[in-house]
Amino acid sequence: MDRFRRFLVSDHAAGWAFILPSVILIAVFGIAPIVWGLILSFQKAGLISPEREWVGLDNYTRIASDPKVRQAAINTVYYTILFVPTSILAALFIAQALNRKIAFVRFYRLAVFIPVVTSTIATGIMFLWLFDRNFGLANWLLGKVGLGPFGFFEDPDQAMIALVLMTVWGWLGFDTIIYLAALQGVPQELTEAAAIDGAGRLSSFWRVTWPMLGPATLLLVVWSTISAIQLFDEVFFVTKGGPLGRTSVVVFYVYRLAFEQGLGALSLAGYAAAIAYVLFLVILALTLVQFWLGSRVIHYRS
Amino acid sequence: MAGVAFDAVTKVYPGPVVAVERLTLEVADGEFLILVGPSGCGKSTALRMVAGLERISAGTITIGDRIVNDVPPKDRDVAMVFQNYALYPHMTVEKNLAFGLRRRRTPREEVRRRVGEIASMLGLDDLLGRRPGQLSGGQRQRVAMGRAIVREPDVFLLDEPLSNLDAKLRVEMRAELKRLQDRVGVTTIYVTHDQVEAMTLGERIAVLSDGILQQVGSPQDVYDHPANVFVAGFIGSPPMNLLRGTATGGRVVAGDLELEDAHVADGDVVVGIRPEALHPANGGHPGPGLAVRVDVVEPLGDEVLVHGSVEASGADARRRVLDATLLADAVSDRGTVRLRLPPRERPSPGSTLHLTVAPEEVHLFDDATGLAVRRR
Amino acid sequence: MVERPRRRLLPFDPWHLFLAPLAVVMLLPMVWMVVTSLETEAQTFHFPPILWPGTLRFGNYVTVLRESAFGTWFWNTTVVTVTIVLSNLVLCTLAAYAFARIRFLGRGVIYFLLLATLMVPIQVVLIPTFLIVKELRLLDHLGALIVPHVASVFGIFMLTQFFRTLPIELEEAARIDGASRLSILLRIVVPLSLPALATLAVIQFMWTWNEFLWPLVTILTNQGAFTLQLGLATFQGSHQTQWHFVAAANIMSMLPMLILFLVAQRYFVRGIATQGLKG
Repeated sequence: MDRFRRFLVSDHAAGWAFILPSVILIAVFGIAPIVWGLILSFQKAGLISPEREWVGLDNYTRIASDPKVRQAAINTVYYTILFVPTSILAALFIAQALNRKIAFVRFYRLAVFIPVVTSTIATGIMFLWLFDRNFGLANWLLGKVGLGPFGFFEDPDQAMIALVLMTVWGWLGFDTIIYLAALQGVPQELTEAAAIDGAGRLSSFWRVTWPMLGPATLLLVVWSTISAIQLFDEVFFVTKGGPLGRTSVVVFYVYRLAFEQGLGALSLAGYAAAIAYVLFLVILALTLVQFWLGSRVIHYRS
Repeated sequence: MAGVAFDAVTKVYPGPVVAVERLTLEVADGEFLILVGPSGCGKSTALRMVAGLERISAGTITIGDRIVNDVPPKDRDVAMVFQNYALYPHMTVEKNLAFGLRRRRTPREEVRRRVGEIASMLGLDDLLGRRPGQLSGGQRQRVAMGRAIVREPDVFLLDEPLSNLDAKLRVEMRAELKRLQDRVGVTTIYVTHDQVEAMTLGERIAVLSDGILQQVGSPQDVYDHPANVFVAGFIGSPPMNLLRGTATGGRVVAGDLELEDAHVADGDVVVGIRPEALHPANGGHPGPGLAVRVDVVEPLGDEVLVHGSVEASGADARRRVLDATLLADAVSDRGTVRLRLPPRERPSPGSTLHLTVAPEEVHLFDDATGLAVRRR
Repeated sequence: MVERPRRRLLPFDPWHLFLAPLAVVMLLPMVWMVVTSLETEAQTFHFPPILWPGTLRFGNYVTVLRESAFGTWFWNTTVVTVTIVLSNLVLCTLAAYAFARIRFLGRGVIYFLLLATLMVPIQVVLIPTFLIVKELRLLDHLGALIVPHVASVFGIFMLTQFFRTLPIELEEAARIDGASRLSILLRIVVPLSLPALATLAVIQFMWTWNEFLWPLVTILTNQGAFTLQLGLATFQGSHQTQWHFVAAANIMSMLPMLILFLVAQRYFVRGIATQGLKG
């Protein structure tokens, strides 16, 4: 009895008491789904119906021969390749522009950061209106310099690019904040020493500042890639995967399979789960490669 | 009010690193004991084990008449003053003082009374409404003391409470502490690396090195009769002069110093002489002679400190006692010797002083073990 | 900044030539929305676009509020968001304190498992979580939006990192003074952690307020449980060419986040910057 009492007041009991509510909830809604998702991917399953049929690797082999998956994968890669470098390079340039003591800098920073808090739907509406073919401000402004009019979201060849523009606008603030924080962490003595050593502005940036931004850049590359691959809201709301399926990305296709087609008689939840898992593995592999490459290139501060 | 007893207490960290090794020590009820030693000797660890902030790897610690190994800090009725004071930065001085009492559900009236008393005793009345960030170092130190005293604990634990104060303040606070201790009279364990503090404050001092207790005794006792080379070299400022010598047939020779009737076994010895024990020859202190070549002369105002070298080689007392390789290497061919002279004497560097030392002021230590050799 | 001597061609810093247009580009979509929301339908269809409508028609806003369930959507989102933020603050603080300061059996393993869930992307857990919520009979209710998010791993991670930076002597002193673990947490640690808690609250608020995919998936037929984003999307769908109304609805939906941002900018920036440090 005394041992029990000692346990009750011990650190072990206290620790578990503190974490228990969170751990239970996360176990149910965070960990269990991961496992269940894997199990689902080996089944033919319906969302509303309780039917479950074990099909082994059938779902996975089906992925390889599904043209829609291929299309979705291509679209996703296309989007990612456009989105990641654009947003990061733009953020880098803007961050170092904002890292100065000039008039109105606080206003400029505000203007750059604020789009971060707008929701994907709000942003989608704003850009649907801006990019409206007939009445949108964009075509009007572009017309003034002799360009356009463009179809933007309605043009199969332009839709993805329009999506990139929209999402870069939304994420720029996030990337810039991170770069700005990193830039402010570069000790002034380093750039001063470079200046004394005769380095010009550009060369000073390239040789002194840029290497110190390695960790931040790696983080942004990894983070941006992961979010680019998981693009969904904008596609669902703005382009609905079109026109002509040119913006149907993988997560959108998964959603379609599971929640639009799968709600009916067809039981595609398992297949969707399989696609999701393959995507997960791709992301994992990509991330590891990026970190590995990053560690080869980055010199961490001593 | 309770005594504290360490019984073969050991603390091992993963590594393995032995921070405290089989410490056995008794602190009597109401006694002021100082744990002193160089950094890393285990004194803070020992203190923290009494507080309950570190788990005991082996052995037992007893407070009063109960073993407290598994008793959490809050149930041990001890109070601690941290080196950095650890005052709650978001609370006023008053709330800081009251915190412990409130946690123990002391009635408000009593809390107010006791906090008021302590505040007066320590001169904090005007500061009760301020936050720690608005106080000076000395004031913060007093608040930290107050927070401990107001709890009226069985045991006080102080972890280098004066080390963050400037020299002048430290001297003032030392006296203040002594006054407080006399007044309050609670069992106190005080940790410091400053042997001057140890000598002036403690009723008894316990010297530690590398986790092992070297010697326990009254300050004067430890000063006059160091039990081993480490204690001899650690206690006393400037430190005891230590030279290497050889004993043959009851006669000890160290350089040009010769000591008869040493009553010590043949072999290598370490000869220890305190700076104040060296007097100019023909100064009325007959005894074995030593020639010192003067290197540096430091006039200190009340005395002159002379650093010189002698023919005998010096001995390094800093290594751990009971380590077989202790004293294996001579520090130099000529040992460094320090001595004190009256304030107006200025021997010139390079000159040679001829000094004598009374035989009973010469300490002898076994070279292999470092332990003192009793010659009576 | 290194000061370099150079000839001044312009009376102001040349960077303004870049930053000013940039600011315009970043703010344009919102400003244009505001303008559109104050126009009549006819004005919206005018091409070239009317840049300033002359009279301001706030009536659009009134119409949107009256003719749609905007009020309900707003209320639902508020309930969900506030509940989640509060529960996060409580549960994540408790858990993070334990991970940071209490040595208990299994601490390392559990913490690692929790962090591992952060690596898993949303589409993997989407379907199974849906099924779990369905089993718990929460579908089509606000409960489906609240319960899965009551505790967030991100919150636990962020607070654990932060608690570790507090000086441990304060907690040791409190332990000796007789405070229990909970007392230490509430009286010592939390008061010293207000900036970190504010940051968590603000970030979690933003994520929950703006969330779209999860409500889309779990609120199927019960229009009374629509969140703001869901409602906004349907509103745009049903009023496709009535841009003056859509704009008004959009502006109203963005206002709370914009205001929160202006008021608590510091915490947003800090929240995002510390995510960067996490790596």
